[in-house]
Amino acid sequence: MDAATRKKFLSNRGFVLFSVLAIIIILIAVFAPVLSGGIDPTAGDLRDAIMQPDGTHLCGTDKMGRDIYSRVLYGARISLVSTFILVALVFVIGTALGVVSGYFGGWVDAVIMRIADMMIAFPGLVLAIAVAGMLGASMRNAIIAIALVTWPKYARMARSLVLKIRHTDFVYAAIVTGSSTWRMLWKYMLPNTITTLVITAATDIGGMMMELSALSFLGFGAQPPTPEWGAMLNEGRDFMQSAPWMMIYPGFAIFITVVVFNMLGDNLRDILDPREE
Amino acid sequence: MIKKFKKSAALLVAGLITCGLIAGCGGGGGDKKADSGKAKVLTFGCQMYSDGLIDPSLQTNTAWNCSRFGVGQTLFRFDDNVKAVPQLAESATPSDGNKTWTFKLKKGIKFSNGTEMTATKVKEYLDWIREEGKKGSTNPTKFLDAGAVVTADDAAGTITIKSEKAYADMPASLADPAMVILDVKGSTNMKTAPVGTGPYMVKSFKDQVGYEMVANPHYWNGKPPYDEVKILFMGDASAKANALRAGQIDLAENIMNVADLKAMQDDKKFKVEITAGTRCGFSWMNMKEGRPLANKTLRQAIHKAIDYKAICKSNTIGNLYSPGPSVIPSSLGQGFDKLKNPDEYNPEEAKKMLDAAGIKDTDGDGIRELNGQNIQLRYISYANRLLNDFSDAHTQYLKAIGIGVKSEYGSSDDQWTKLVAGDYDLNNNNWNTMIAGSNTSYMGNWWSKNKDNYCGFKSDAYDAAYEELQTTMDPKRYTELMTKLQQILIDEAAVLVDGYYNSCIIYNAEKVGYAHIYPIDYYWITDEIKPAGAK
Repeated sequence: MDAATRKKFLSNRGFVLFSVLAIIIILIAVFAPVLSGGIDPTAGDLRDAIMQPDGTHLCGTDKMGRDIYSRVLYGARISLVSTFILVALVFVIGTALGVVSGYFGGWVDAVIMRIADMMIAFPGLVLAIAVAGMLGASMRNAIIAIALVTWPKYARMARSLVLKIRHTDFVYAAIVTGSSTWRMLWKYMLPNTITTLVITAATDIGGMMMELSALSFLGFGAQPPTPEWGAMLNEGRDFMQSAPWMMIYPGFAIFITVVVFNMLGDNLRDILDPREE
Repeated sequence: MIKKFKKSAALLVAGLITCGLIAGCGGGGGDKKADSGKAKVLTFGCQMYSDGLIDPSLQTNTAWNCSRFGVGQTLFRFDDNVKAVPQLAESATPSDGNKTWTFKLKKGIKFSNGTEMTATKVKEYLDWIREEGKKGSTNPTKFLDAGAVVTADDAAGTITIKSEKAYADMPASLADPAMVILDVKGSTNMKTAPVGTGPYMVKSFKDQVGYEMVANPHYWNGKPPYDEVKILFMGDASAKANALRAGQIDLAENIMNVADLKAMQDDKKFKVEITAGTRCGFSWMNMKEGRPLANKTLRQAIHKAIDYKAICKSNTIGNLYSPGPSVIPSSLGQGFDKLKNPDEYNPEEAKKMLDAAGIKDTDGDGIRELNGQNIQLRYISYANRLLNDFSDAHTQYLKAIGIGVKSEYGSSDDQWTKLVAGDYDLNNNNWNTMIAGSNTSYMGNWWSKNKDNYCGFKSDAYDAAYEELQTTMDPKRYTELMTKLQQILIDEAAVLVDGYYNSCIIYNAEKVGYAHIYPIDYYWITDEIKPAGAK
């Protein structure tokens, strides 16, 4: 990164602020065992079930007597890791298929794009629920389900960016000078798509985190006793009026994290793609 | 400037939409048309079992639905003491050493289509259910054996049942919901609109939503208190509680959220009736060959690891279950006081037992191994009567002694399918222990010769005692045998008991004047439920 680019990033106050906040969230996830004081988020005592916040349990306890503070901290690990895996998965698969589709065209393009059309013909979350329902309830299957319905967005975007340059002179010149197909894809096509797709991925982090939490909330994602924010919201739903702390803290954690990553993505877009400003 | 205006306008529109949504969600208010009009309407929220179907020949739950929704009635029914009392019949007389029973039918009873309920009609149904029931899981021959011959005398208004086997209490057997008397020939849609003698009849059915019922114009016990009854299926306890609060329903069965229940008990607007029932929540332990729980030491350690008393007393369960180690509720007697539990809560001893049996964690992953493999028990459960909470609690206790559990929570149908297929290690459910007025049929679940023994339990001592239990007519001996059977199950650590379930019914006192829950929960919608202000 040259000095000008660094200055561009550092001069965007929003980006700096939300980067710091995102790093704090990541650090919370990393140091959850320390911050929780060694309390096991999956261990509880039924005799302490549904206790309101006090000195012993800062955020109260849930219906299994588990410490909500510890569960919220550990929940950051599950939510962040699964979201990053999901974003990386759709980014890689979608980009690869889109670039291949745009570059080769013909039947390759037709097959990939028709499959993509099929996937986006259904409402995303509904299809994800159906897929997760078929695969069985687990965080891994929730990631697969959302990845299956999200990759077409990246593939279509990558394809359109490739098509913009596919028939330009410099591409033909490269082909004429003997560049291999792999080199064409790696050196010429991919770099032309990557900026836009990185921005899209960054802005998608918050949304995907919400979708994963939604699946867990509905029982298709993380299973008990895994400390996952969406699942915790679902567990606390029955006690919304009598023990609101069971929903407030995981809800607040989702809210803060999603806002931070959304704002970070927006600011990254402002820096990398000034046309959007 | 324009940008600012656009932002303000967008904010204003968003605000208005939010207000609209909140206003739309609030209010409730129920069916104002029905409130103000002449029609008396009861809206009832309940759990959906077996897709809400009410054909008694299909499954146990469908037979129960038929009785619970006020469509079908039996010759005798169970009262608050779980004693069979006359309903469609006025008396039952045994003879021939209890092998022949003569039932005198009440006069003037008609089905909801206006057809008279004659002795021939009763015979038709009893013959039909035993034949048709072979296809489903209702198992009606548990209540009236296949060889029993029913003779109808229309002139005398009696049916006579002759059986090879003696029945200690045939009226109780025929009080099971499988034995609701329906007009077989007059029912063109047995699945969702059979013709019965109950206070209400089906007007329409919406799959996964519920029923619209109307008063039976030919009801034999006076005019039904309501003109219409709407039955709405509601899966979770908080949905029922919120619907009651919002005025969307007037009556609900079994709200299992302790906090909601307490709040409603404290609110004068609602009445909550809780009764010690005949139900037991328990997890089957799959002891079939090759399964981890075939190992008795492991089963005993599991029992020692779980503090069942603390679970039942916790804020989560809140005494909606009473604790106990046996599969028969303490309130039913049957020798409960004489039972001894060698596996009371003692996690340290559980660990020692496992270590001594070589069931240790050798790879340091926190999970013990049995036969070289990590113990990961598949725990099947479903969201009803706090079963998932029990399963979660058990999982937590088991983790503490190094036993892994993989929870698989689904619908009641999933749970049932996996139970019957033997596809589980622990399978949590809540069963009525009084079938046909006694515990005999229920205790048969652990009799090795029973096809309904879904867990592979086998004990010669149990089999011998159970076979004697089936034939004894002496109440004292019956209790002795029941005590013995329970003790064997406890000693063998064969069943993981959640506790004894206390049923409840909750209603909006401003709309409903009276409702009642019976210990044996075959009856939800009855002619006893009356609107507020009705005599």
